Amino acid sequence: MRDYIDKHMRELTVALEHVPADEIAKAIRTIQRTFERDGRIYIFGNGGSLSLATHWVSDFNKTVFSHNLKKHVKRFQAIRLPSTEEEYSAWANDEGHDMVFLGPLQNYLQDTDCVIAISSSGNSTNIVKAISYAKKRHVPVIGLSGFDGGKLNKLADVKILVDTEKGRYDLVESAHAAILHLITKYFQDSFEHALQYAKKPRKIASLTRGK
Amino acid sequence: MILVRAPLRISFVGGGTDIPAFYRTYPGRVVSTTIDKYVYLVINPTPLIDKVSARYSQSETVTHPSKLQHTRIKAMLMDLGITNNIEIGSFASLPAKTGLGSSSSFSVALAKGLHAHKGKRLSPREAAEAASRLEIELLKEPIGKQDQYAAAHGGINLFQFNADGSVIVEPLLLDFKKRAEFEKSLILFYTGLTRNASDVLKDQKKQIGKKREMYKTLSDSALEFRDKLLAGDIKGLGEMLHETWRHKKQLSTKVSNTTLNSLYDAGIKAGAWGGKVLGAGGGGCLLFVASPKKHSDIRRRVRAAARKAKLADFQEIPFSFVDSGTDVLFNNDSHVRV
Repeated sequence: MRDYIDKHMRELTVALEHVPADEIAKAIRTIQRTFERDGRIYIFGNGGSLSLATHWVSDFNKTVFSHNLKKHVKRFQAIRLPSTEEEYSAWANDEGHDMVFLGPLQNYLQDTDCVIAISSSGNSTNIVKAISYAKKRHVPVIGLSGFDGGKLNKLADVKILVDTEKGRYDLVESAHAAILHLITKYFQDSFEHALQYAKKPRKIASLTRGK
Repeated sequence: MILVRAPLRISFVGGGTDIPAFYRTYPGRVVSTTIDKYVYLVINPTPLIDKVSARYSQSETVTHPSKLQHTRIKAMLMDLGITNNIEIGSFASLPAKTGLGSSSSFSVALAKGLHAHKGKRLSPREAAEAASRLEIELLKEPIGKQDQYAAAHGGINLFQFNADGSVIVEPLLLDFKKRAEFEKSLILFYTGLTRNASDVLKDQKKQIGKKREMYKTLSDSALEFRDKLLAGDIKGLGEMLHETWRHKKQLSTKVSNTTLNSLYDAGIKAGAWGGKVLGAGGGGCLLFVASPKKHSDIRRRVRAAARKAKLADFQEIPFSFVDSGTDVLFNNDSHVRV
């Protein structure tokens, strides 16, 4: 039993160690840019990945600012798509399962937004359809994939690949959860730090235009 | 209506190496960051008014873009074949000619906005190239491409300008602690001296042959600056800037003048590790790198030097770094054309 557990833990550690740090840094920058332009973050995935998306949204919208909610008037606007089960079922039933993410995304997406897509295989048709649309709109796409990355890793602007043997959903999804938590924790620490070390605002008095 | 926002930038090192006369023979390199001061551009289609309007510090309404006084709006409208039914307005957080790259930020916003008006979304690189083409090819301005690239991409970047005209964009990704430490060490003053970048750059361009070796040093120092920044060696960065400033002073007689020297020396005497004139020199802004503990001394001394030089518009500009480049913030025009 102990060997089985140790082996799994080692595999997970190895998978995490091989995640490209630069791509996580790019994901953080993409989210920061979206925040600066008051854009929204749309996140989605199938099955376990959908639950990761929901979990991340609840952390990100609130927990990031929990150290001082009152002082952070401007917060993140992360939204899981589809945002209700009813919407999910309506798109799937009426337009087909391939449309469950693209359908709502078309309703919502603005040029100022960004998209996070989660897919272990990287090849789910509904995911590929949705990110292809975002790409056409020049909206940045962060892709969290596994195995060999599939189409998602090829298409995404930010390529977070958990490189594993094909079919190891367990490792990929655990690693995705860790990466999503890292992103949340980064912004939590960053905003807390910014509050602690805030420069005193200095007024710009008389710089006039058009000289 | 379309609303576009383009950030201004602070260029730390390598300015001047982004001119083709130099980078055709040796890679040019610049490190810069965008800041939370912006140029905003509004593009409003006027289907019932068969005119072209440009609203900036002046207000113009004409029957054809060729009659506009505003050279950039005129050239870009003509180039894109937009000849009527449009109104373009610009707004900015700071005046022009501060050395913070605002004229190129304007061009990038204009390129991005007018393409959006035609239903085409430009990537940062496309926007940077469109703005560079406008300024360098269409308007024959003797400037480089660093400002267009900085405004279009956003964030702290190292840009490399290659002989074939291609540009490598290397984002310098700092964590929030390093980033805040660097940001807090900087102090920025608007000198109130305005200058025309083109005059200084024309002068520099003439001398490029003679000063090639010095430009190579400037270009290479951008790599050193990047390494020090990533390592969090802020003091080292400041000292590098001090060296670079002294180098650059030798490049062109117009890069510095006695007034600027007196302000710069005041900052150094008050304990700054280094600093630089922003933009093509001769005026604009003065940036210092110093321990935050020294900032109030620097403020006091530099202000006193400015008073002595009778710089009425002299003033500190508080700022923060931003990661975002030129963005279309609002567009209800070309609704979801993909």
